[in-house]
Amino acid sequence: MACRCGAADPAAPCRPISQYVLKVHSRCDLSCDHCYVYQEADQTWRNRPARMAASTVRAAATRIAEHARAHALPVVHVVLHGGEPLLLGPAGLREVLAELRATLAPGTVLDLRMQTNGVLLDEELCRLLVAYDVKVGVSLDGDRAANDRHRLFAHGGSSHSQVRRALALLRRPEFRSSYAGILCTVDVRNDPDEVYSALLAEEPPRVDLLLPHATWDRPPWRPPGVATPYADWLGRIHQRWVDDGRPVPIRLFDALTPGRAGGGTEAVGLAPADLLVVETDGSWEQVDSLKVAFHGAPGTGLDVFAHPVDEAARHPGVAIRQVGLAGLCAECRACPVVSRCGGGLYPHRWRTGTGFDNPSVYCPDLLALIATVDSRPLPDRPVARRSSPGAPPGHAGDRPPGRPAAPAPRPAGSAGDRHVESATDRLLTGLAGGHGDPWALGVLAQTQLSITRALLATWRDTTGGSAAWELLTELDATAGEAVDAVLTHPFVRPWLVRRLARPGTPDDDLLPALAVVAGVRAEADAELEVPVRGDALVLPTLGRLTVAGARTATVRTVAGRLHVRAGSVERVVPLDAAAGSTLGWQPVRRVPVAGVALAIEDVDPERDCYGQPVAPTLDEPAAAALGRRLARAWQVVHRDVPAHGAALDAGLRAVVPLAPDPGAPLRSATAREAFGAVALTELPDAATMAVLLVHEWQHGKLGALLDLYDLVDPASTVRIPVAWRPDPRPVEGVLQGAYAHLAVAEVWHARAAADRPDPRPARGHAVRYRDWTREAVDALLGSGELTDLGERFVRRMRHALEGLRADPG
Amino acid sequence: MDQTPPRHSPPSLEVLTRSLRTPLGQVATEHPDTLALVRRRFLAGRSAQPGTVPVAAFNSSI
Repeated sequence: MACRCGAADPAAPCRPISQYVLKVHSRCDLSCDHCYVYQEADQTWRNRPARMAASTVRAAATRIAEHARAHALPVVHVVLHGGEPLLLGPAGLREVLAELRATLAPGTVLDLRMQTNGVLLDEELCRLLVAYDVKVGVSLDGDRAANDRHRLFAHGGSSHSQVRRALALLRRPEFRSSYAGILCTVDVRNDPDEVYSALLAEEPPRVDLLLPHATWDRPPWRPPGVATPYADWLGRIHQRWVDDGRPVPIRLFDALTPGRAGGGTEAVGLAPADLLVVETDGSWEQVDSLKVAFHGAPGTGLDVFAHPVDEAARHPGVAIRQVGLAGLCAECRACPVVSRCGGGLYPHRWRTGTGFDNPSVYCPDLLALIATVDSRPLPDRPVARRSSPGAPPGHAGDRPPGRPAAPAPRPAGSAGDRHVESATDRLLTGLAGGHGDPWALGVLAQTQLSITRALLATWRDTTGGSAAWELLTELDATAGEAVDAVLTHPFVRPWLVRRLARPGTPDDDLLPALAVVAGVRAEADAELEVPVRGDALVLPTLGRLTVAGARTATVRTVAGRLHVRAGSVERVVPLDAAAGSTLGWQPVRRVPVAGVALAIEDVDPERDCYGQPVAPTLDEPAAAALGRRLARAWQVVHRDVPAHGAALDAGLRAVVPLAPDPGAPLRSATAREAFGAVALTELPDAATMAVLLVHEWQHGKLGALLDLYDLVDPASTVRIPVAWRPDPRPVEGVLQGAYAHLAVAEVWHARAAADRPDPRPARGHAVRYRDWTREAVDALLGSGELTDLGERFVRRMRHALEGLRADPG
Repeated sequence: MDQTPPRHSPPSLEVLTRSLRTPLGQVATEHPDTLALVRRRFLAGRSAQPGTVPVAAFNSSI
């Protein structure tokens, strides 16, 4: 069979594989009658070693590591599986984990997980799992009656109390970081309400619901006369979940809900499944649930000793899982909901004679379940920093109180609302009009912070635990505003992206500096070693201390000041300028504008992210002059278009001076990843600077919106001619330009309409920018390259443009 | 034919809001899908596999 992975040359590398299941122990201490490993068609476990030998673990880890390096995979997921992986015992498990971390972790993020029945889990094993940062999923089918239906010992005894004891251990604060969630196999004879309540009582970070494995040869049990019992059963749980405000992620429901995280799972959706299994004897195998189809179904004939991952990835059974729609039967391809169910779990399509070229044996249930999910659409919730109304009070997963409340939209669906406006609609409408109100700017800022926090968690996975991470997470729990203040610094995300995108490159770790800054902002007493960058200790949002001849400095934070020791030199840095100055300390200077402290950011080296040279640190007179000009420019924006002034107030927090260039004196820039900052050349007049501020802040706002929504077809390769540049631009570039020019047109329109001595130059600018924008908007709408949301957005831009249609003045 | 892989879906407001409510030290544990999504979306072009399924976040039952 020809390789269908898309590689024209069989010798060429296939799509990379980032997910691996290691069958570290092939036996189990339970005897569940619904287990696909032992109770189904495939019986290969009988001839395999009970446990994976150390040499096999090493060979597998080496293969995975070489594959990760060759394909520059930033993250590799490894799941320890069985049988029952805890049968390895603490010593055996430690050997496996140490081997995986030592071989795989350098150069890639190793996401280590384990799926267990939990029976053997004890404190010693929990400590080991936490130490090696292993996330544990525990199998539990619900309440005692439900769990006892299948999950029994060979002697027929219940495992329920042992599993609950394991879950109680994982809930303990010292072990909770290893608690990944609960996996529940559905049995429609169980009471869905009881199952739901039992699962939530364990306070899992997430839940997954798994349809029992079945094929067309061995269809699932169905009560007589009930067409879609699995959809009905899951639908009941879905109803409870929705009514409760979706208190915990349920992976199956999230995956079936359009616009939710993940875009699919192993069981539903069309996204490629890049997964390989390593059996205890070192065999490369396909997804292990194929064992339900026929004896030997997952086999590839390849093993980790003789065959690299690339070769296993080219196996037809692996490759076909990566071709999406093309890998499905004709009936599925013609189905209107195929993008949702993706044909269901691959093994569930099996029928002797036609193989996997069938819809899922659960097809009617999947159709009905999708209809159920669609009948209870996801409300676009307000971005809030607190417990959602549906979350139980004091929920363990919530951040503590004491943070500023996030802007909340008008309550959706409240009594008396005839038109329920979703957060997405409000966000798009508000921003497409050109400005964005404080609520919209608040949503953008909060989602940007969330992205930065997720990247920071990824960084922690890459580098492992550290005193800085411990301090930062502790402060996050006790003084969240202090942590937020430093993580919203515009140049944290550019640093994270740069470092995470190029793992292994030598550079300084910013995390200790971030923790120190959060510490001093929280008035916490803490001490950390902070790397020195070049000849300076850089403390984002605070300033820079010149520290010659040291690679690190010991920084102790106390209320209002820093004690810095580098080598034999110790200095005290007061953060309040009025308390005096310290030799070599360059604080970040701030300009009070409209109630906002706007930073002149000329000390953080990470500010150099604009693709053009930034200015060196300004001397005091130059910084003071720039501050005065910025304050005046801010006032001009408020005078010209107050709505743009409000948008600046709500989100622009830093201005980076660009290096002067006599050949191009009028320059400005925005970096997509540095939300809240713009870069400008220094200009003598505030009116021009006002235009640049508005122009660049439009890019900042739209960039943050594009982080949340695809407004342009991501696969677009079209180029569109524009009036403001000689070269045709990509569609997203045209959108960015049009959005910026819409605002600039407004500014000039306002100036032309104002009672000024000579409005003609302003009128000329207004007409030019308006016409540029109109041409670009029309080209965008005619391009066919916008998504539905993009088309709505651009149509609203055009509506805003209508207000400028008449010649100003 | 353009072989450029499509960009991965963006995280939704709901997903980012949930993550923001979670203590920083638990974000990776409690929101692995969000982390995967953020990595794929924002470490664009350097990602493992656009559009791949995060099966390993939760594998099938034993």
